[in-house]
Amino acid sequence: MARHAVIPAIPPHWFQILLALADQDRHGLGIMNDVLERTDGSMKLWPGMLYRNLSKLVDAGLVTEVDAPPGAETGGGRPRFYRITALGRRACAAEAERLAGFVEAARRKKLLKA
Amino acid sequence: MRRVPWFYRVLLHAFPADARREVGHDMGAMFTRQLQEAHAHRFGAAKLWLRASVDAIVNGIGERFNRPRRVQGHGAGVKRWRWWMHAFVQDVRYALRVMARQPGVTLVAVVTLALGIGANTAIFSAVNAILLRPLPYDDPHRVMMVWEKRQAEGVNDNVVSPADFLDWARMNTTFESMAAMTSTAVDLTGNGEPVRLSTALVSPPFFDVLRIRPQLGRFFRSDEAIAGKPRVVVLSHQAWTSRFGSDPNIVGRSLTLNGTAVEVIGVLPASFEFPDDSLDLWAPLALEGTPQPPTRTSHQLTVFARLKPGVTLEQARADMERVGQTLQQQYPEANRNHSAWVIPLEDRLKTPVRSSLLMLLGAVAFVLLIACVNVANVLLAKAAGRRREMAVRSAVGAGRARLAGQMLTESLVLAIFGGAAGVAVAWWGIAAMKQLIPDSVPVVGLSHLRLEPRVLAFTAAVSVATGLLFGMLPAWQLAGQDVNASLKDGGRSPGGVRRRLRVALVVSEIALASLLLVAAGLTLRSFQAVLNQPAGFRIDKSLTVTVLLPGARYKTQAAFLNAFESLEERFASLPGVRLVGATSHLPLSTRDSRQGVTVEGRDPVPDSPTRAHPRMVTPNYFKAMGITVIAGRGFAPADGPESPRVAIVNETMAKRYWPNASPIGKRVKFNGNGEEWMEVVGVIADVKHWGLEAPVNPELYRPLRQAFSPLMTFVVNTEGDGAQLAAAAREQVRAVDPNLPLSRMQTVADVAAASVATRRAGMLLTAAFGVLALVLAAAGIHGVMSHLVALRTAEIGVRMTLGASPTRMMAHILQEGAVQATIGLAIGLTGGVLLMHAFRTILFGVEPADPFTLIAVAAGLFITALAACAIPARRAMRVDPVTALRAM
Repeated sequence: MARHAVIPAIPPHWFQILLALADQDRHGLGIMNDVLERTDGSMKLWPGMLYRNLSKLVDAGLVTEVDAPPGAETGGGRPRFYRITALGRRACAAEAERLAGFVEAARRKKLLKA
Repeated sequence: MRRVPWFYRVLLHAFPADARREVGHDMGAMFTRQLQEAHAHRFGAAKLWLRASVDAIVNGIGERFNRPRRVQGHGAGVKRWRWWMHAFVQDVRYALRVMARQPGVTLVAVVTLALGIGANTAIFSAVNAILLRPLPYDDPHRVMMVWEKRQAEGVNDNVVSPADFLDWARMNTTFESMAAMTSTAVDLTGNGEPVRLSTALVSPPFFDVLRIRPQLGRFFRSDEAIAGKPRVVVLSHQAWTSRFGSDPNIVGRSLTLNGTAVEVIGVLPASFEFPDDSLDLWAPLALEGTPQPPTRTSHQLTVFARLKPGVTLEQARADMERVGQTLQQQYPEANRNHSAWVIPLEDRLKTPVRSSLLMLLGAVAFVLLIACVNVANVLLAKAAGRRREMAVRSAVGAGRARLAGQMLTESLVLAIFGGAAGVAVAWWGIAAMKQLIPDSVPVVGLSHLRLEPRVLAFTAAVSVATGLLFGMLPAWQLAGQDVNASLKDGGRSPGGVRRRLRVALVVSEIALASLLLVAAGLTLRSFQAVLNQPAGFRIDKSLTVTVLLPGARYKTQAAFLNAFESLEERFASLPGVRLVGATSHLPLSTRDSRQGVTVEGRDPVPDSPTRAHPRMVTPNYFKAMGITVIAGRGFAPADGPESPRVAIVNETMAKRYWPNASPIGKRVKFNGNGEEWMEVVGVIADVKHWGLEAPVNPELYRPLRQAFSPLMTFVVNTEGDGAQLAAAAREQVRAVDPNLPLSRMQTVADVAAASVATRRAGMLLTAAFGVLALVLAAAGIHGVMSHLVALRTAEIGVRMTLGASPTRMMAHILQEGAVQATIGLAIGLTGGVLLMHAFRTILFGVEPADPFTLIAVAAGLFITALAACAIPARRAMRVDPVTALRAM
């Protein structure tokens, strides 16, 4: 539990953004689509909210901005790509563990099938 | 990829400029994708827009506050700006808290403002749709109407004769194109049920004048406007979709119109609008190649023309005047004193409703002013309670500007809430306004009545202006007060300035309300006067059935007559029918014609041609319509084709053409070849044909059996509601001729109601605003007086302790109210009379200074004002003097 004191819990939409970046660098639209798909449409990221939070994530050092990979579908302009940092991975993993802990608890209480 | 909608790009300005530069493009792309999906899934683009707007604004403003902390190196300008922004946000939050703390006050203020702003939005939407919206043609300001001007008669919008039109088109030098139009109706058969289609006959340049392109096919060539050429038509978009199922292969198809084969050559675009939007078909107007040369004496054309580039209206008028003079010299007989008059199409269409709309706009502005005064008053009352709070804030260092700013912010927030609720009120108001005008009454632009961006921008501007207006007073009062005095007395003393301000508010409420009520009263009286005009016929539930027999199938006069007479018999045999008559021109129906006549023994008066409006009627028509025969006799069945020609004239014609004698037994005939003399056998009372408020012109009635009309309107006089006979009447029409299209059926009362519909709408709206003003003013006066009396509770207590009787105190308070009401009424009534003087064209049969209206308004408002004073005064009388004294 000590690790949670070092890395504070992160809000659900940060978790989802970090999760979207965990396997590959993405631009905003990519993050939106990934999150939408994974949450079956229940978490809709709005442009203003997404970019404001991305800039906060950058400030917090969980995410960095990277150059667009060659051949990225640009659609006219140069989209900004984001990459998860080591700290970001740790925060995301910690959050996942925390959530997994809750899932385990729910399972013990027979709320979920094993 | 689709372009980012401009509105979203505007929204992105909520973000600071650097953030916008960095990620604005990506956000736009993201939103565009969401929008595409929303459209694809029918998820509701509106909901998406709403969410995305809130998202952009909330996060954009949030980012503005976070960003400067991170971005280093900004100058003092940014800091200053940030400080103001911060203060503003703080004020808004504070205002929201204040509003939430006093939900009752907030609700009253928001509802009051919503009514005022909503009424303004609704009326502005009408002004916007009808007056401000340009006509939907390319360069609409250059589209003109050209009318025949008749100096001697003071008429400058007479319809034009075909020969004159052809000469105008040939001789003018200021128009790039000129076209004539007239309308008719044709029967379409062989395409399902037979239907009557209203048809415009236009000369080929018509669509060039308006610069319209066909959606399908083409428009008319000039060689198609020659009589005897193969016949072609263009369909309106409406007719194409509703009657031909939007058939993409319609061009080239042959239709049977009035029994003749006609080829469809084009379809108008859906965006095409014309003042008369009931037109289904457009056909070429054949003016050349007709058996007889074009006439110069029969007038029936409306002329449209487009100014050449660079030509002014004045130049065009001078040019057409020259053309008119030349024609006068060439044809001194037919064109005596005739010239031409040019008027922009927009003016022609918009002028009739302009004054009414502007008056309504003025009326709602006054309603809003009253609402402002009310809310200002509520805020003043509340501000009095907050003087201490303000004094404390001032003492701990808030500057006066800051305090005033905060008060203004509070009223702005209130006004914005009021504006938002006002949009809902306006939405409802617009729906109600549309109900006021029946579909049968064409009002230009009425179909564009809606909450569109320009209207909402107006609402926003009005809301902000309102907020500043009613927020100014309390802000100025509060910020200007003496801090020490307020702290010392705990914010209780009323203060002389405040009292005078309150009195001024009461006076202005009464003045504004009385001004509005004068306007409402006068429009109501005008409407009443119009309705009280003797129509000359019975306005009842008789059913009117209009039947037009196509000349292609009815070849002889006898065939027409047989069909009409058997229809009349069949209608008469329907159950509950008392009497059936028929006329070629039903009063108030906008159908009309006019001809020159010769009155035997009367010398032509120079500059005043002898004319009459011919009407063909059946013998029972006068009785069925309740038209009185005031001299001589009505028509009889014996007035047939073989018997001597007879005529009946109306009273106006009798007085004008036989000024000193009875016309009975005198002879009259229509000008033209082959016209016969008719003996006048009767005079009927005047019938209002051109509107209840319009003057009556000479009318000459002939028996249908001795004349001819392809169109007749039957008046079926019944015991009950004639409308219930419509289905049975339709059956009878079908029995006589199964190929006759279903014609329009209305009761006489409906026809009369339609003729006064716009005036009625204006009257109802003004009356509604008058009532709203009265209620708001009453509530406002009550509020002010309650507060004033409450402030004087201590004084009242002292006086009553010293022996003043409650009756005397009451009289004292009422006396003050009466003085204020009198001052307000004097201002308001004078203003009302002056205002209505400016709008006197919309009055009818009543003077702006109508004593009845003025007395009624004065009495009504005076009593209302006294009642509004009496209620708080009574409450004060019941106060225990000890309690009152303790309040000191």
